[in-house]
Amino acid sequence: MRILTRLGGPVRHLFFAALALLMAFPFYWMVTSALKTNDEIWRSPPTLWPEVPLWGNFAAAWNEAPFARYMGNSIFVAASIVILQIINSGMMAYALTHMKFRLKGLFAGVILFGYMVPATAVYLPGYLVLSELHLLNSYAGLILSNCVSIFAIFLIRQAFLQVSHELVEAGEVDGASHMRILWTVLVPVTRSSFAVLALITFIDQYNNYFWPMLITKNPDLQLVSAGLRSFFVEGGAYGLQWPLIMAASAFTIAPLLLVFLLAQKTIMQSVNMTAGSSKG
Amino acid sequence: MTRSKVISGLKPILFTLPAMVPFVLFWLAPLLYVLYLSFTEWDFMSPEKTFVGLQNYADLFSNPAFYKALRVTVLFCAGSVLPIILLGLGLALLMNRKLKGSALYQVLLFSPWVTPTVAVSIVWSWIYEPEVGLANTVLDVLGLEKIGWLQDPEWALVGVLLVTIWKSVGWAMIFYLVALRNVPSDLLEAGDLDGASAGQKFFRITLPLISPTTLFLFVVQLIQALQAYDQINVLTQGGPSGSTRTLLYLYYQSAFESFQIGEASSVAVVLVTICMLLSVFSFGVSRRTTHYQ
Repeated sequence: MRILTRLGGPVRHLFFAALALLMAFPFYWMVTSALKTNDEIWRSPPTLWPEVPLWGNFAAAWNEAPFARYMGNSIFVAASIVILQIINSGMMAYALTHMKFRLKGLFAGVILFGYMVPATAVYLPGYLVLSELHLLNSYAGLILSNCVSIFAIFLIRQAFLQVSHELVEAGEVDGASHMRILWTVLVPVTRSSFAVLALITFIDQYNNYFWPMLITKNPDLQLVSAGLRSFFVEGGAYGLQWPLIMAASAFTIAPLLLVFLLAQKTIMQSVNMTAGSSKG
Repeated sequence: MTRSKVISGLKPILFTLPAMVPFVLFWLAPLLYVLYLSFTEWDFMSPEKTFVGLQNYADLFSNPAFYKALRVTVLFCAGSVLPIILLGLGLALLMNRKLKGSALYQVLLFSPWVTPTVAVSIVWSWIYEPEVGLANTVLDVLGLEKIGWLQDPEWALVGVLLVTIWKSVGWAMIFYLVALRNVPSDLLEAGDLDGASAGQKFFRITLPLISPTTLFLFVVQLIQALQAYDQINVLTQGGPSGSTRTLLYLYYQSAFESFQIGEASSVAVVLVTICMLLSVFSFGVSRRTTHYQ
């Protein structure tokens, strides 16, 4: 490694360019495989670029399963969860940082405890709770069961701690309600944390698979990961129609890569903040 | 107490309810429920749950399948967490010196992290295709034997681990880049004045200063590894012959495939206990050894 740093710029460029290409290659392979005919994709050695790119494969895959519905579900559910998380983690963090009450220590402790519990391990009883509430197979179940995130509360709490008490007290002197102080004073100053929260939560929820798959058996409610997976396994596609499977994977992944390219600064910034909030 | 005092006393409670109600319903209650279920025998269908005490735990701890899953879990954790941290740190060190265009490299290395695990695992299962898949084509070109990446019990875990590492290594690298940028340069310059070698500076100054990041990545990645499901489900479904069946996957299969709720719950309790012990342990370690500025 030291030899590499000593050799300076060009060698490191070569190294990183090669590595970046290697890391991105599965995406390239996905797209080019999506454009091949079933004959060409099974040819050995494989072709790096399809002889005749079949752009129609994308349309064919899109029409073979209700992908518009799956993606619509994912976007709707993820966006609803983002909004609810902004509201409840904003209010919770406000109470924890700028209000005095007796149960504060207990609530903070319970949340910290929750941080240590792996969510997947309690999916079985969570499923039973949802079934008791008659929320299986419903958008409400998908959204409400994901609407609180301990990470979000930590992140926003950390941001609020850095806002000076005087700003809040000035609001109180002016006679503003807590709600008003929270949404018109605190949230605007800490908006970058909320932007990070919104982005990370959206990505996480759009990609969510295990839990939504458990609690929704109705195909109309499937999110895009589960929909893609059933297209992969069922639709007669398994191992037979690789070009269509790759096309479907490509349009499942594409919106996220696009969001990432547009918001990379915020996402990279999120790293700084999550690293910061983990210390809190 | 006047009415307004009651109202102002209630306000903090009202502020915490939107988060606490779902938290209790979907987090705390299930946790207590799973503990209760682990002392019962139930098949999901019958109306009665039979209380069996510690029987499920006794069965679990005498079941070879449990120890096999435990072994796979340990291998999966070690095989994903250590490479992710070491490679992430190595790449960040290389990139930390001024390098034009490094923003582009960062984006490319980071991109797998934002994509759905299910979708990329499907892409990888095509890359791992035994006859004409890209992975075996490359081995063939290099003059090596083809591998049954997902079919051979010797290799399946490696196949799943490669996808897992590929997905997270860029993410770890970004964390380390941030941490390295926060190492004060005057400390390193002081090291230069004292005639410290590059190695000494790294081990005595840089490494201790970035230890909070290392600890954070270690804990987060470990908990992620204990919860890994999506890639296993798509790539191998725990097979071949249980070679990729982790404790979490065992839990999922006994709960939702063979409907042995009591047994599954006891696996969940073991898993939660492991996570909590690890968290408490790392919290203790962080108090003793990491350096916060």
